[in-house]
Amino acid sequence: MTARLRLTLLLLAVVGCGGEKRSTTRLTADATGTLTVLDWAGYEDTVMFATFRQKYPKVKVSVAFGESDPDIYAKMKANADACVFHFYTGWQNFYVTDGLVKELDTTRFANWSQVPERFKALGRVNGKQYYVPWDWGYTSILYRTDKVPGGIDSWNALFDPRFKGHISMWDDGPGAVTAVTYVKGWDETKLTPAQLAEIERMWTDQRKLNRFYWTGEPELVQGMASGEIWVAYAWQGAYNTLLGQRIPVAYAQPKEGRNSWVGLYGISPKCQSPELAEAFLDEKLTPKVGVNLIGAFAYGHVNPNAYAGVTDTNIVKALALRDPTALDRTRFTPIVSEQDRNNFGQLWARVKAAH
Amino acid sequence: MPGAESRRRLWALIAPPAFWLCAFLVVPLLLLSAYSFRAGMSGAFFRDWVPTLENYRILFATPSFFELLAVSVGIALVVALTATALAYPVAYYVVFRARARAGVFIVLLLIPFWISYLLRVMAWKLILGSSGVVNALFMSLGLIQEPISIFFYSRVAVVVTLIYVWTPFVTLPILATLYRIDRSVLEAAASLGATPAQRFWRVTFPLSRPGLIAAAVMVFIPTVGEYVTPLLVGGSTGAMYGNIIQDFFGRSANWPLGAALAVVMLAGTLLLVVATSRVSRVEQYIG
Repeated sequence: MTARLRLTLLLLAVVGCGGEKRSTTRLTADATGTLTVLDWAGYEDTVMFATFRQKYPKVKVSVAFGESDPDIYAKMKANADACVFHFYTGWQNFYVTDGLVKELDTTRFANWSQVPERFKALGRVNGKQYYVPWDWGYTSILYRTDKVPGGIDSWNALFDPRFKGHISMWDDGPGAVTAVTYVKGWDETKLTPAQLAEIERMWTDQRKLNRFYWTGEPELVQGMASGEIWVAYAWQGAYNTLLGQRIPVAYAQPKEGRNSWVGLYGISPKCQSPELAEAFLDEKLTPKVGVNLIGAFAYGHVNPNAYAGVTDTNIVKALALRDPTALDRTRFTPIVSEQDRNNFGQLWARVKAAH
Repeated sequence: MPGAESRRRLWALIAPPAFWLCAFLVVPLLLLSAYSFRAGMSGAFFRDWVPTLENYRILFATPSFFELLAVSVGIALVVALTATALAYPVAYYVVFRARARAGVFIVLLLIPFWISYLLRVMAWKLILGSSGVVNALFMSLGLIQEPISIFFYSRVAVVVTLIYVWTPFVTLPILATLYRIDRSVLEAAASLGATPAQRFWRVTFPLSRPGLIAAAVMVFIPTVGEYVTPLLVGGSTGAMYGNIIQDFFGRSANWPLGAALAVVMLAGTLLLVVATSRVSRVEQYIG
């Protein structure tokens, strides 16, 4: 083998290796442009993308707001000018079916390896990775320990006549269906008409026990703080807020398991600056941003390396951050079909319309 | 030609509001109707639109939706009649008795409109809520051991709040009608020996009836589809038909079914208003 041939082979090998191992991002520090993000109020704070801002100071991040998952879906369908959008588990299929999200090349995300598989899996539809998971939290039963001294160990507490007039359920059909399936031990993705009828009956009967259906966390927190509500379907954010107010509350660990939900980011196929979008989402996964998110909203972050940086004891307690098995004992919100979602929505409308 | 010139001017005046109404009322209503005949949310609006009656089938197969519509119509009627009845004496006093202070009273009537609707409704929570003024007072006096819930998170609370919200509003059209009554007619009645009560029942009230009907209709129509007040003060059992529509457009992301519910409500309300106008022949007064 001549020296020239050896050099040629060496060069080919180097080029070949370069082809196999792609660069995580093609952006440089002096990248410019505007990235449009459709997100929830509060996430426009620059600390929610602190490292992106630090790395690419000339890129402008323009945030538009959605107020609910259906609102964000409707805005994306109505051609919202958003490169990146943020929604929560249960809605993954809709964006894929409507061609509103593009498949991700995760090799472009330097921080991807720090994300546990359980979160990554929730961003996959039909075996393809469409979404970057980012924030997570629990749903369980929040209760006043002074009013319910015996404690609560089951989702059935929402239907317990002992708490008549002091229960508050979230105003949400899929959430209502999920709670009953936990009590009954049913699979919420394979419900029969008879099971749906039973769920409807249970919630219709529950109305006389329920004080009000809460639509926003502040409403629930106020109800719990005033002593009006003793038992509620709640997220851990409310628990953390009430702990901060020194209200005697506990967050149940039901025998059926807590529910967990995850926030996911997708990139629109119409995005004119996909490299900015990818870099933005990659930086969202850093531990520093994770600590900022957890501290600001008491929401979990998908990067466990962020947890060590959280020192607020109430938040650590609310998210069970020091318990590595906590998430193993929860049940993540599954992906539901449009038909199921419509059925759950109609069921809840009938419950509210019933006399 | 002066006729052609005046027609051009007329069209120049009418065209902008007509275009506005067409673009932002008629077209959205047509789109709403079209949505009610769609199978679901997926796909492009026109390209993937396959007409279906499925949403109307679901709606007509769900008696509770119609029962709730009937309840909402009943609530709207009670609110419209009560608010109008409460507003009438106020308007009467301002027009016939307040004299120089009329301006002050009219400003007082307008003050609630300076405050957001949401805030006005939320104020009731401070008064009637579990930890509100009334419950706190009763509990401090030892009259009750725990907060009374009838005041809040009930259908009664929805009705009371709606009456409170609408009463200042309905006073205005009644005021306008009462101001238009020719005082010489009342003087003629007095000179013919009519007592004050006779003057009111045989002159003032019949002449103010168009304003009363217009005021009641102005309250009735939006109240049938009301959803904010029941959401804030209705609790688990105080929902109205508008809440169900809002749920389908909002949380459930099922616009087609929500649109079908809205079309039915719109048609029902229109029928009721037409029937009312026929019965009362309100058009002869308005015209």
